[in-house]
Amino acid sequence: MTQLKNYDIVTPGELLSEQGSDGSGTYVENGKLFSKYFGMLQINDRGISVTPFTGVYEPREGDDVVGQVVEVSSKYWVVDINAPYYTRLDSRDVNFRADIDDLARYIQMGDLIYARVFRIYANHAADISMRGTKYAKLPSKMITKVDPMKLPRLIGKEGTMINLIKNETHCEIVIGQNGIVWVDGEKDKMDLAISAIKLVESEYHNPKLMEKVTEMFEHVRAKV
Amino acid sequence: MYEQRFDKRAFDELRPMEAETGIIANANGSARFRIGNTEAIAAVYGPQEVKPKHLEKVDRGLIVCKYDMMPFSVPDRAKPGFDRRDMEISDVITNALNRAVLLEEFPRSMIDVRVYVSQADAGTRCASLTAASMACADAGLPMRDLVAAVAAGKIGDSICLDLTKEEEDFHEGGATDVPIAFLPSKNEIVLLQLDGKVSREDLKKIVEIGKLGAHKIYELEKKALRRRFSNES
Repeated sequence: MTQLKNYDIVTPGELLSEQGSDGSGTYVENGKLFSKYFGMLQINDRGISVTPFTGVYEPREGDDVVGQVVEVSSKYWVVDINAPYYTRLDSRDVNFRADIDDLARYIQMGDLIYARVFRIYANHAADISMRGTKYAKLPSKMITKVDPMKLPRLIGKEGTMINLIKNETHCEIVIGQNGIVWVDGEKDKMDLAISAIKLVESEYHNPKLMEKVTEMFEHVRAKV
Repeated sequence: MYEQRFDKRAFDELRPMEAETGIIANANGSARFRIGNTEAIAAVYGPQEVKPKHLEKVDRGLIVCKYDMMPFSVPDRAKPGFDRRDMEISDVITNALNRAVLLEEFPRSMIDVRVYVSQADAGTRCASLTAASMACADAGLPMRDLVAAVAAGKIGDSICLDLTKEEEDFHEGGATDVPIAFLPSKNEIVLLQLDGKVSREDLKKIVEIGKLGAHKIYELEKKALRRRFSNES
């Protein structure tokens, strides 16, 4: 089993090494190292790790996320951020003065918000906050979900991919690190932006992705 | 006496198999597994909020499995809905997956596994379990191993692998059906049921032959998962 190379595809339970030193995405059983995920193997001087190909978003502290309010209580909002658990936005953690007991006046059920994950509890629960000027309630435009594992491709190197989509469609796009992408612009352009995002998601392992997206935009422009 | 199998296979030969993952766009993970004329489709949703809330476990996740046969899967229409047999099979699949998926990694959440049998020709619980485990891996769940399941048994005096419906109903000498599920790389049995009569020695032989079959299925599962992300570029 030593013929495994860097960037090889591994499946759960695959034997990675006879000696145990677990990195992320691996586990040790009877002194042997196994893969925990269906993903890509990474071997470097820090050890062996496996990055899963797919998966649900797992909140980390400091992530900027787009979420949808699912419940308004008297002192907090409950927000769905596309994670296994709902999160809580306390009325004290917003960038405006909110009178408690009447929170629905500010943010209602179904509203979209842009917020930051600022606390993770031991039981995996998370709290989000809207303190800071860049966080806000988002007007209800179009949203689309992208697999969070594929987000790096959508953003591209130093934001090249997302800037390409923004420039081509003149849309305002907000990417939450939880995989929810909010798009605002002219109606046709929003559809175009979303189809570009979907193209990135479906072809994210294509090394010539940038060309492919450019081609798509050119194709659309030729038709008009 | 049962000297030659109805479909002319060797006694330790599996039916032709086919596996595929990522077939349902709306699910977090999905898979299809076909062995002979038995086909199962599995979809995995989650981890997500536990519904109903009272089932929630504080220290680990929960797998909720639903197995169902499609009305057209058997010669005489299967009544749609959740009957006693579906309930039992859902439970054995859940128990097997509980051993495979590392549930303590996502406390207070639920994984919804749906398995539908679109064609049935014996061994549906094994095909369903195989498909479900592939779908779990496809959903990116942390797992100890994939599950490979196969039915073995004794027809007349011969020990056979991967029984068909025709063989299950064999009368002269009796037919024993033993569905077995393994975690192949751990050499661990996660499901073992027995329908019929068999001696202790024969059961050992049946488990051995089942293990051989499970390893072949395991290789196919790995190949099907890999195919999704390799060579397409």
